[in-house]
Amino acid sequence: MRLSTPRSLLIYLAMGLVLLFFLGPILWFLALALRPPNTAFTNPPQLLFRPQLDAFIYTLLNPGTNARQLWNSIVVAGGATLLNIPFALPAAYALSRYRLRAKKQIMLWYIGLLMAPPVVFLIPYFIFMSRLRLNGTYLAMIVMMQTITIPFSVWLLKGFFDEVPFELEESAQVDGARWWQALRSITLPLALPGIIVTSMFAFVFSWNNAIFPLVLSNQATATLPIGAMSYIATSGATWNYIAATAIVAMLPPMFIFLVLGRYIVRGLTFGAVKG
Amino acid sequence: MLPARFTGRKALPYLLILPSVIALLSLIIYPMIFSLINSFYLWNLQTSPTPLMFVGSQNYRSVFTVTPFLDALRNTLMLSVGGTFIQFWFGLGIALLLNSRLKGMSAARVLLIMPTTIAPIVVGFLFRYMYYEGSGLISWLLTAAKFPVPVQGLLGSANTALAAIALADIWQWTPFFAIVLYAGLLSIPEDVVEAARVDGADGWQLFARITFPLMWRTAVVVIMIRFMQLFNMFDLVLVLTRGGPGTSSRTLSYNLYLEGLANYNIGVAAAMTWIIVILVTVLVNLYILAAFRNWEW
Repeated sequence: MRLSTPRSLLIYLAMGLVLLFFLGPILWFLALALRPPNTAFTNPPQLLFRPQLDAFIYTLLNPGTNARQLWNSIVVAGGATLLNIPFALPAAYALSRYRLRAKKQIMLWYIGLLMAPPVVFLIPYFIFMSRLRLNGTYLAMIVMMQTITIPFSVWLLKGFFDEVPFELEESAQVDGARWWQALRSITLPLALPGIIVTSMFAFVFSWNNAIFPLVLSNQATATLPIGAMSYIATSGATWNYIAATAIVAMLPPMFIFLVLGRYIVRGLTFGAVKG
Repeated sequence: MLPARFTGRKALPYLLILPSVIALLSLIIYPMIFSLINSFYLWNLQTSPTPLMFVGSQNYRSVFTVTPFLDALRNTLMLSVGGTFIQFWFGLGIALLLNSRLKGMSAARVLLIMPTTIAPIVVGFLFRYMYYEGSGLISWLLTAAKFPVPVQGLLGSANTALAAIALADIWQWTPFFAIVLYAGLLSIPEDVVEAARVDGADGWQLFARITFPLMWRTAVVVIMIRFMQLFNMFDLVLVLTRGGPGTSSRTLSYNLYLEGLANYNIGVAAAMTWIIVILVTVLVNLYILAAFRNWEW
């Protein structure tokens, strides 16, 4: 198709508007983090300004109000990812490799859980965790995240295991390897890219989860979005700090999605659409 | 279907699945039983650390009389149905643009997905800033376009609060529809389209008879996921409107959150939990019937 036909020009124009609509708000918020505070609420909105890093310096370095929250986000999302793999991996392997009578029911049960409203779990666990004096700990948040990460990872990993030809594993067993030797030396290395992709998604989902930290964290363990929200609670004049904190919270998932590339469709549909 | 494997080791697969099932069951059964028991007790966490007394089905009635449950249900349904509908068609339009295979479209696709990577709560911040009365970008643009922006602001008016939440969600998730439906379009075999074209199908017939039916299997899965995520809407409500003004933008999840963790009426919240769980279970099962029929396990 040639580039200059009227039809392709029209398509480019439409796509340009679409990109403006979907990227504009992100750039506008980045501008908020970079602009002098007194230009944040001018009417009409001010497009041009002298960019400054004050808001990032304030939130991350001096006094670094939100630096601790960046660390908390890393610990909670990383912890949730590390905890979910040992549960999800064996289950996904078994669901991929064996003919089980209840396979369909088990898979559907997992996806049903992914559709459940998190608030339903939240209230009982808020009381339960406070009785155990676990409110405000990383552990409480990491454990609650498993209601999302385990079922998600089982679905995604099963799809990746399905793609590793069983014949390879089988012939290793014919040659005398035990099933776990075949798993370790053949299937796991071949499924490794899938395991990494799954972990990256689990990390992003946990990183972006705000509802569990909202109730189960305290000042010392609050994650970045909760930190940004506490500025809203104090006064209206701190929008530059909200924006700077939010931009920092946005960067890791954006970067991970850039790396994930063609796996994005698959991950976001829990492996149901191969992409 | 795979052949039966590892004969004589029938317990092994179940042993491998068991840890994840036990972990999830223990995470889910506890809140369910907790809610079932306490839904029959009078219990406000502010006045007592433990349930006060058995009240029968009183809490289930209170869900409807004390909390604006039906308002929340109506808002939630409007949000889920309207949001999914708009995102699907808008996303399909973008998918067709991507499918033009013009130069630069793959770069556009990479940029397009960015809103979907952001935490929903952070999307709330982005839009709260743009909805700001007078000087917020969206308020300002709408005023410039002679749209009657309410004096209380877009988030402060009962007429626009729910739509403002919907717009933020549409912004975040339309790209998700676009790239998944585009993947669905790509999976349609070229020769099928070619054959229809040779048989004289025009653009619209091609779309209605070939493209759309063939990508429906993909579409059903995304619609299911998004409808349920919208049905559970919480984060945007928390940051943008806190359910207000009045109850005009209160969703089921936010209503439950307020009753349990702001009013601390654990008994009523427990009863509401069970009503919501039953609603969600019915919906999820309907979707599973539609989406995973003829699925290869």
